[in-house]
Amino acid sequence: MALLAPIISDNGSGYSKIGFAGNSDPSFVFPTAIATRENQVSAAGGGSRAPSIPSKPGHLASKRGIEDLDFYIGDEAFSKPGYGVHYPIRHGLIENWDHMERYWEQSIFKYLRAEPEDHYFLLTEPPLNPPENRENTAEIFFESFNIQGLYIAVQAVLALAASWSSNKVTDRTLTGTVIDSGDGVTHVIPVAEGYVIGSAIKHIPIAGRDITQFVQMLLRERGETATIPPEDQLRVAQKVKEDYSYVCQDIVKEFRKYDAEPYKYFERYEGEHSVTGRKYGIDVGFERFLAPEIFFNPEIYSSDFLTPLPEVVDNVIQQSPIDVRRGLYRNIVLSGGSTMFDHFGQRLRRDLKQIVDKRVAASEVASGAHMRSSGVEVNVISHKRQRYAVWFGGSLLASLPEFYSYCHTKADYDEVGPSICRRYTIFGSAT
Amino acid sequence: MILLESHNVIIENTLTEKFQKPSALDVQFVDYDGVRFHLSTPERKSVLLLSMNIRCWEELVKYGAQDVIQREYGKWIAPSVEPEYNVSLQFDTDQVPEGEERAAFIHSVALMKRNALAAPFERAFLKQYQLESIPAPIDGSAREEGELMQIHYRDEEAIYIRASHDRVTVIFSTMFKEETDRITGRVFLQEFVDARRLPSIQNAPQVLYSNREPPLEIRHLSGLKDTEDVGYVTFVLFPRHFATPDTAAATISRIQLFRDYLHYHIKCSKAYMHSRMRHRVTEFLKVLNRAKMETAGEKERKTITGRSLRSFR
Repeated sequence: MALLAPIISDNGSGYSKIGFAGNSDPSFVFPTAIATRENQVSAAGGGSRAPSIPSKPGHLASKRGIEDLDFYIGDEAFSKPGYGVHYPIRHGLIENWDHMERYWEQSIFKYLRAEPEDHYFLLTEPPLNPPENRENTAEIFFESFNIQGLYIAVQAVLALAASWSSNKVTDRTLTGTVIDSGDGVTHVIPVAEGYVIGSAIKHIPIAGRDITQFVQMLLRERGETATIPPEDQLRVAQKVKEDYSYVCQDIVKEFRKYDAEPYKYFERYEGEHSVTGRKYGIDVGFERFLAPEIFFNPEIYSSDFLTPLPEVVDNVIQQSPIDVRRGLYRNIVLSGGSTMFDHFGQRLRRDLKQIVDKRVAASEVASGAHMRSSGVEVNVISHKRQRYAVWFGGSLLASLPEFYSYCHTKADYDEVGPSICRRYTIFGSAT
Repeated sequence: MILLESHNVIIENTLTEKFQKPSALDVQFVDYDGVRFHLSTPERKSVLLLSMNIRCWEELVKYGAQDVIQREYGKWIAPSVEPEYNVSLQFDTDQVPEGEERAAFIHSVALMKRNALAAPFERAFLKQYQLESIPAPIDGSAREEGELMQIHYRDEEAIYIRASHDRVTVIFSTMFKEETDRITGRVFLQEFVDARRLPSIQNAPQVLYSNREPPLEIRHLSGLKDTEDVGYVTFVLFPRHFATPDTAAATISRIQLFRDYLHYHIKCSKAYMHSRMRHRVTEFLKVLNRAKMETAGEKERKTITGRSLRSFR
């Protein structure tokens, strides 16, 4: 039998990206949310979450029900009255296995319309995922779904693999720094030869949601929100962020530019009230370049976190082993929706280069001008597939013929047990 | 919907998007029973090519699938079939219908697999109708029966359809690779047979289930597997199940998804059992924790600032 394309499933805390290997975009992107019946929860009593247990054993037909099928996932989950919405993944880690098992079930059968028995699967995990979670995942996939084979990859490594599609990349290496910025949190993850350097990972509490909030705040301060209906404000802010924002190279110059020729740079956003259909319009001004600026000057938005992104990246690389630092500087890869701003990569590269050059110069002076540095190469790679980079990387790797040899198959699993999935051979580091 | 739907969501979504805003595209995806689809724009952005590969295409053609496809998609059929695939449809974005018609059109394309697989069913329904009009032979010999149609829609599983003068019999052979699934599946199918006794679903088709032993209708066939893993589910469809075109269409859509739904349901009930097992484990853990001994010896004393006094003793 010809093997059917492996299924790539990248379940994040906000959205799940699922699809088939070999495609350039996931077939489905929907919220990782599941809606289940609420009344069951209270019926079980004692505040426990378990489904109600039939009171007494007896004739099977008397307890025939559809509790096991009664749930909805993705966008559908939000439009069901009488159901409670749950998010089984928090901060990238699976918290509720009951819900997750069902979530996978429906995403495979109802959306992908595939039979798990016929497919190989590639799943993703966040860095520093406990091995127990892998075991649990493997247990569900092999024992509930009887899949043919499974590979669990680290998201950062897949993001590195996705950057191979960029024409700037010449050697296919799995060494590099991944900046993964989604909706909730931004991670900076150093990867050496396909292994994540766990001790050096840093998280930045600024990501997509914060940018949206910041845009909303700016609009409010300028008085633009007066015309926007309150319930649409967040949506409009999001639209402004996605469609009009870009990263500037110098804030002061940019402000001057806008003041000199406002008509050239101010954009007009036309919206429509989602309920009444009334039209409204707002001017989009400084938000355009100020929004992503919170990565580079966080003090304009928050007072808790004040380290700019380039500095965090530099710290991360400095904490990594010395022999991989050059590789980490040379290959900085962006992934996730919040890195999609125009010129984001250039700005990051410039700022980082400044920091590095300053340090190199300082050490040259400190050595008494005896040592000459050959300089450190800093490269930030942005590519077209950035938004779903992790998924795309998975699709890329799983479409290679060697993929199957790296998977743990059902037979292996039956032989060894769940512990086999604690380890996976690093895949795709082929030269 | 708790039931599975018979249209392919990916086709529907992608076509809706691409008819609105044509752009280059090349995606491959699957449907149940190893059906493969390839949707691409080989020449221009505005011309979409949708190809389907079905394992049992030869058999389906024998039972009139080509005619059904012709009837459903007529002018959209591509002049040449893409290599490695069985059917190709071609859409020019400038020519597809507008407005509400478009949604209906997209939906009908999304039903492509269902339509291809519907051919033998439609033929059986038609045959039954013909046979019914032939009066019973006076000498009491057996009445004429339609041919036994076999569709090997999976490697080890098949659908058999036979029309006779008062009914259409549909037999699914099922095969479970996994021990646990086999047992769950058997319980399920037994239950399935029982469920019909409920008064609310008296009109449902009659269901029979046999394990290992093939039903009489197909017993004469060679090459039937004789192992514990094999089971046979027989549906008996009476004329009322396909009296009007609408009911016939609904019947076909549902019965096609039988196997997929069965497997989906088995998996769902496994998950349901697992969540109950997990719940039990946490309950037992609570009991175990309660049974733990209190820490022996004198309780550690602390000063008001929270430091212990051990070092002073």
